[in-house]
Amino acid sequence: MSVGIIANPASGKDIRRLVAHATVFDNNEKVNLLRRILLGLDSLGVERVWFMPDYFGFYQRALDGLAGQGGLNMETRLLDMPINANQEDSRRAAKLMADAGVKCIITLGGDGTNRVVAKGAGVVPLLPVSTGTNNVFPVMVEGTVAGLAAGLVATGKVAPEESLLRTKKLIIYLNDQPVDIALIDAVVLADQFTGSRAVWDVGKIKQIVATRGAASNIGIASVVGGLRYISIADPKGMQVAVDEPGEDAPFYVRAAIGPGLVKRVPVTGYGMLGPEQRVAVRETPCVIAVDGEREIQVNAGERAEIELSLKGPLVVDVERTLAAAAARGVFRETRPPA
Amino acid sequence: MAFSKEEMLGMYRKMLLIREFEETVANLFSQGQIPGFVHLYVGEEAVAVGVCSNLGDKDYIASTHRGHGHGIARGASVDKMMAEIFGKINGYCRGKGGSMHIADVELGFLGANGIVGAGLPLAAGAAFANKYLKNNGVAVCFFGDGASNRATFHEALNLASIWKLPVVFVCENNMYGISMSQERHQNITDVADRAVAYGIPGVSVDGNDLMAVYEAAGEAVKRARAGEGPTLIECKTYRHRGHFEGDACVYRSEDELNEWKKKCPIQRFSTRLLEMNMTTREELESIAAGVKEQIKTAVEYANRSPLPDETELTTDVYCD
Repeated sequence: MSVGIIANPASGKDIRRLVAHATVFDNNEKVNLLRRILLGLDSLGVERVWFMPDYFGFYQRALDGLAGQGGLNMETRLLDMPINANQEDSRRAAKLMADAGVKCIITLGGDGTNRVVAKGAGVVPLLPVSTGTNNVFPVMVEGTVAGLAAGLVATGKVAPEESLLRTKKLIIYLNDQPVDIALIDAVVLADQFTGSRAVWDVGKIKQIVATRGAASNIGIASVVGGLRYISIADPKGMQVAVDEPGEDAPFYVRAAIGPGLVKRVPVTGYGMLGPEQRVAVRETPCVIAVDGEREIQVNAGERAEIELSLKGPLVVDVERTLAAAAARGVFRETRPPA
Repeated sequence: MAFSKEEMLGMYRKMLLIREFEETVANLFSQGQIPGFVHLYVGEEAVAVGVCSNLGDKDYIASTHRGHGHGIARGASVDKMMAEIFGKINGYCRGKGGSMHIADVELGFLGANGIVGAGLPLAAGAAFANKYLKNNGVAVCFFGDGASNRATFHEALNLASIWKLPVVFVCENNMYGISMSQERHQNITDVADRAVAYGIPGVSVDGNDLMAVYEAAGEAVKRARAGEGPTLIECKTYRHRGHFEGDACVYRSEDELNEWKKKCPIQRFSTRLLEMNMTTREELESIAAGVKEQIKTAVEYANRSPLPDETELTTDVYCD
């Protein structure tokens, strides 16, 4: 009955604070959030929590504010792994946690953080808490409540069929080899470098492929959502072809492509995607952004494709999990407090 | 933006020029040919070049004790810089300032500075002047993680934010203030977090990625010119050499240094240029040969230049 926690110390600090009006999520606030998560987990009898080590020291700082280990009934441990201070840390930590038999991994980050964790987590469900910028995958949830929900899943007080959702993902192929995934969207950009990672210049967007979309999303998924609502559970995705800037596009989609960044995206066409359907990247060289971050540089002459898969990571549906627990009487006790 | 081949190779050459300049200075210093102290910029080249490639004639930069890279990125003469480091009369300060006082106000280079954090109010002042003169110029201040603990940092950010000054504060977070690791001198890991306290944007970027720095600085400069006020950019980077030449570096491990050397900004950029078929190994080698020749010429220039005469002892030292 153990849970893993992966908190990204770098989330909520990138250039979108400058090119958009994204929230700054400083690490001391994440520490507070972690303490609330720990207390939520502890209250439900979780036996052990594994932390990913990081350069900020979330583990030590969170425990410092809880009178150390003595402030908790459960055991807390730090994974024995080197810190490279890059995204590989999160992938490796997720793998180690899965190997250690955790029943749930709580993540603190944005879409980008969860994308990396999903690569290592295997079949372990994620409970993604939003502390990033483009947050379609993670949810805005109070830390204590997140801890309770993860605790209910980890202790088996709520069954998987009452608490978990299977998400979708995109698989990026380069020269027929899978090289990366995206949980929400993959965007083909007429760009030369990954640079500062974020995507904010609509003029560079050539194609969009997404697993879901809602007009209420923030990020490129909002372009998809502006065309048609695709839920987390719909067994389909969408591809969108984007016009050259300045050309006479058939129509434009007004979308919140970043926090405070509402743009008109010129669209030449779009279509629904079925499971395992692949979309060819039309023009190279290009850069592919996955879940809001420029990540994959495609050189001239290389062949890139993007495939929709229904085998994305499992996630904890916080609302449904807590409702199921309440219905089962998990929160009802006859014994008076000590 | 899309860069032309010429622009990309220009930035590559500038980073290489800084590297060659610094490695030559290190070599000459070890031979006892250079008086005083030198603090070298090897490993941090992408920051200076990425930022300064966004600047124009009316813009200013204020630098640090580790200022050679900033000067070169701003376009200072490597001949005059080298002569100054040698203490020769043809140097930028007629040989009286040395490494930590190289400046060229005409070029918008407000100078290296021996006092940690002293450039911040200077840049804020230059930005105030630009705003007052309505010349659309901006000011940039380079400083380190250690300097972000100084009062000058907080005072400069406070005033700049109140007055919406056109200034970009660029923190070169190389993880050490002299020998003090960041985890021992501040309770945060991202200096960019401090922007929140002043109500201005703060971003962290990979300081060893030329394009990441270029983009962040470009947006911050654009914002400053548009009258939207200051920005704090934190560039995570690492100095390959000690705090000063002769530093035994007992406070950090070889493994840590080697890990950062793998992230060398020049190597990363040249690898990408080759991947893009933007250049060839032969062309890069030819650029490197040209850079080597340029620095060799600078050393010859410095060697040829006379020392200041005794009669010059007080000249340019005091104002009349």
